[in-house]
Amino acid sequence: MTTINLVIMIIYHIISVFVVFVLIWSIIKTKDVQEAILYCIILIPFTLRVFHIK
Amino acid sequence: MFIHAGMILVVMAVTFAVAKLLKLTIELSMFVAAIAGALAHGAGIPVRHIVDGAFTYYDVCLIFITATFFMNLLKEAGGVTYIIRGIITTFHRQRFVCLLLLTLVLLIPGALTGSGAVTVLIMGTMVGNVLTYMGISETRTAAIIFLCAAMSAAAPPINLWAMMAAAGSNMPYVGFMQPLLIITVSGALLSMFILGWKGKAVDLEKALKELPTPPEKMNFLRVIIPFLVFFALVLAGRIWPFQMPILGLPLMFLISAFAVFLISPKKLPLLEIASTTIRQLIPLVGIMIVVGVLIQIMALSGARGLISLGVVTLPLTVLFAALWLILPWSEGLVQYAAAPLLGVPLILLFNMKGLNPVIALSAMAVMWPLGDCLPPTAVVGRATVIELKYKGSYYGEFVKTCLIPMLIILFVCTLFIIFSKQLSFLVG
Amino acid sequence: MSEKYIKTVKIISFCIALILMIMAGRAFYEHRYFKGAIVLSPGVTEVKKLSDYFSPLEGTANDCNIYILDSGNPGGTVMVLGGTHPEEPGANLAAQVLVENAQLEKGRLIVVIWANRSASTVSRPGDAYPQFYHISTDWGVKKFRMGDRWANPLDSWPDPEVYVNYPSRQLLAYMDIRNLNRTWPGKADGALVERTCYAFIELIKEEKVGLFIDLHEAELEYPVISTIVANQNAQEIAAMVSMILTAFEFKRPIGMEFSPPSLHGLSHREVGDYSDALSLLFEAPEPFLDRVRGITDEHLLLTGKDPFVMKAGEYGLLYEKIDEEGWPIDVRVGRHCSTILQSVQTYSEMYPDKVVAISKVPRYAEVIENGVGHYFYDPDEAPTDRVVYE
Ligand SMILES: [Zn+2]
Repeated sequence: MTTINLVIMIIYHIISVFVVFVLIWSIIKTKDVQEAILYCIILIPFTLRVFHIK
Repeated sequence: MFIHAGMILVVMAVTFAVAKLLKLTIELSMFVAAIAGALAHGAGIPVRHIVDGAFTYYDVCLIFITATFFMNLLKEAGGVTYIIRGIITTFHRQRFVCLLLLTLVLLIPGALTGSGAVTVLIMGTMVGNVLTYMGISETRTAAIIFLCAAMSAAAPPINLWAMMAAAGSNMPYVGFMQPLLIITVSGALLSMFILGWKGKAVDLEKALKELPTPPEKMNFLRVIIPFLVFFALVLAGRIWPFQMPILGLPLMFLISAFAVFLISPKKLPLLEIASTTIRQLIPLVGIMIVVGVLIQIMALSGARGLISLGVVTLPLTVLFAALWLILPWSEGLVQYAAAPLLGVPLILLFNMKGLNPVIALSAMAVMWPLGDCLPPTAVVGRATVIELKYKGSYYGEFVKTCLIPMLIILFVCTLFIIFSKQLSFLVG
Repeated sequence: MSEKYIKTVKIISFCIALILMIMAGRAFYEHRYFKGAIVLSPGVTEVKKLSDYFSPLEGTANDCNIYILDSGNPGGTVMVLGGTHPEEPGANLAAQVLVENAQLEKGRLIVVIWANRSASTVSRPGDAYPQFYHISTDWGVKKFRMGDRWANPLDSWPDPEVYVNYPSRQLLAYMDIRNLNRTWPGKADGALVERTCYAFIELIKEEKVGLFIDLHEAELEYPVISTIVANQNAQEIAAMVSMILTAFEFKRPIGMEFSPPSLHGLSHREVGDYSDALSLLFEAPEPFLDRVRGITDEHLLLTGKDPFVMKAGEYGLLYEKIDEEGWPIDVRVGRHCSTILQSVQTYSEMYPDKVVAISKVPRYAEVIENGVGHYFYDPDEAPTDRVVYE
C-alpha cells in the first residue's frame, strides 16, 4: 500500500509538470501582455511543487 | 492596530480600483492590490509570504483542471451532443420533461468542477440553442444559462466556496451533499421554469439540423460509463476506505477521463485537449492563486482580522437581513476570495450562536455564485453573453431578467440560514 | 503593441517570477531543513527514534526523536507528546523544557518534542505565519521553527476525497489525514501521519506507558480551551488536577472535560481505548490562532497580545478571557509544565505501584518569573554527546 501511495504521489508530480509545461508554452505563444504576466505568477507555485520545494 | 489595518484595506481598495481603471485584468489588479497592501504594511515586498499565499488553493486548482479535462474530453467525444439530441428527440412534445432534463444536464459540469464558467463553456451554446428552438427569447435564454450555471457551481459534490470556508474554519467538508443538492436543484428548476415555461413547441427538424452530430457509434452506455467510473471510485473510497489506495479527486477525474478516452467512438487527441483545458482555465486558476496571495497579505497586515471582526460583531438580525446583498456583492468584487474572507468568520459566529454551521454554510455557498454576474468581475455573466453571442444590453436586459429567480433563491437561502438549526436533519 | 514590446515584457516578468521562486524557494528550503539544538538534561538516559518501534517510518520526515528519562528506580512510565500541532509552540517548548531539565527520581518519563515532525517543516499557506520565532535565553537568542497543523504535502500527497478514520470509519475533512490529532490509533499501511500514530501506539504498548499526555494550544474562539480533556480512564486525575491548579496555582482557571465517546481519531479518545495508558490532553490559550487576530507576526505569537481578539472578547465571542496582558508564551508554557507535574503527582498518588517522580522541572510561577528561555541551555557549552538536533 505504501508503494502504491508513492506511485500516486509521483503521478501528482507529473500532473504538475504537465501544467508547468503548458504554462511555459502559453507564455511563449500568447500575444497578450497581461496574460503573460499572469501565466508567470501561476508558474511560481507549480514549479516549486515540481521541484519538491514547497 | 485598528487604524493600521483599516489603512491597509483602503490602500488595497484604492490600488484595486486604480488598476481596474487602468484596464488591468481582475487577476492582475488583485495582485497589484496585494503588493500595495504589503508595501503599506511596511514589510517591503514579503516574497516568502507572496509565494506561500500562492499555494493556498493548489489542490483545488488541480481538482479544477482535471475535472474540466474530463468534461472537455466527454464533449469532444460527442457525449454531450448525444445527450442533448437524445433529450429533444425523445421529449420534444413534453415541454415539462424536456426543461427538467435540460436543467439536470446543465447542472453536471459545474457540480463536478465547482465552476459556473465550465458549465457555460461546455453546455452553454448547445443548451442555449435548444432553448431558443423552444421559443424562449434570447434574453431569457441567457438568463437561464447563467442562473443554472451559478446553481451548478454551487451543486455538490464540489462547491469551492463551501470547501474554502470549511477548510478555513477547521470544519470537515462533510454533510454538505444533501443541503446543497436540495437548494441548487430547486433553484435551477425554479429559474428554468419561471423563465422558460412560456414558449412554443420545438421545431424538431430545425433543431436536429443545427445541432452538431455525434459520432455514429456513440450510445448511452458510452456516455454514462465514465460517470459511473467516477462515482464508483468515490463510493469505493467510502465503502472500502482502508483497502483503497488514496487517489484524491484529481486522480479520480483523470481515471474517469481515461475511461472516456478508451470508449470514445473516435480517437481523441489527449495531449491537445489537456493543454487546451489548462489554457482555457488559466484565468480561473490564476484568480485562485492571486486570491491566495491577497488573503496571505491581508492576514499578515491584520486586514483580514479587521474584516472578520467587523462581520462577527454585527448583530445577527442585521446579518440575516443583509447577507443576501453582501454575499453576491462580495463575489462580484473579489470572486472566490469572498468565501475565506467572510465565510470563515460567519461560520464561527453562527456556530457560537447555535446555528447549524453546515446548513448555514451550504445556503451561503449558494448565494455567492449568484453574484457572478455582478461587476467588477462578472466572470460567469460575461462568459454567458460571450458564448451565446448575446446582443442585448448586459444590465438593462440580461441582469434584469435574472433578478426575479435570483431574489427568490436568495430569499430561500436566507430562510435556510435563519432556520438552519431546525433543518439540521438535512445534514447527511 | 509591437512584437518586441510584448517579448520584452514576457522576458522581464519571467525573470521576476524566477527571482521570486528562487528567493522564496530558499526560504522554504531553509525552513524545511532547519535543525534546532536540544541540550539533553542529565536525566535523559537514552535517545531513540520512532522507527525503533515501527521500522517502516525509518527515513521519513516523521521519524522523530524519542527522549527516554529513566530513573533506574522502579515505578511507572509517563509519556508526554509535544508538537502534535507544530503551530502551537507552547506544546513543543514545554516538551523541550522537560528534555533539557527533567531528572527522574522514580519511574520513567518518555518525551516527544516533534510528534508530527513533517508538519513542523511547512508554513500554512494563506495564514501568514512567521517561519521562525526567537526566545531570549541566559546565553543569547535561541531560534525555533514554527510549523503548521497539518503534515507537509511534500511528505503526504494527495489527500483523499474525504478522510475516513481507521478503524472507526468516522468521516473527517480531507486534510485531516495529515492532522496527527485525527489519525489515532493509526494504520500500519496508511498515509504518513496514520503510520506515525500507529508507531506511537506500538511505542506506548512496548514501553508500557501508564499515563499519556498530549500538549496543545487553542484559539480563544474555540470552546475546548484552558482545559484538560480526559479519556474516561483518566477522569479522576483530570478532575483532581484541574481543581488543585485552579485553587492554588493558576491566575485563570483550568477546566476539565470528558472525551466525547463518539469523537474519533483524537488522542484523548483512542490512546485510552487502544492501549493500557490513561490519556489526557491539555489545551492552553493561543490568541495567535484566532481568526479575528490583527497583525500576524512573531510578536503576537510570543506575547499573545492582540486588540482585535480583545474586541471580540468584549462582544462575548470568546471562551477564555484576554486583556492587555495577553497570553505570553511564558504563561502558556508555565501552565503546561505545572499541569504535567501535577498530573504525574496525582497519578503516582492514585497508583502507588506506578510512582513517577520528576524533579528540576519549573512550575508555572517559576517559568513566568524567569522566562521560558531560562530553561534552555547553550549547545556550545554542553558536551557534544549531550546535544542532539531535531
Ligand atoms: Zn492542537
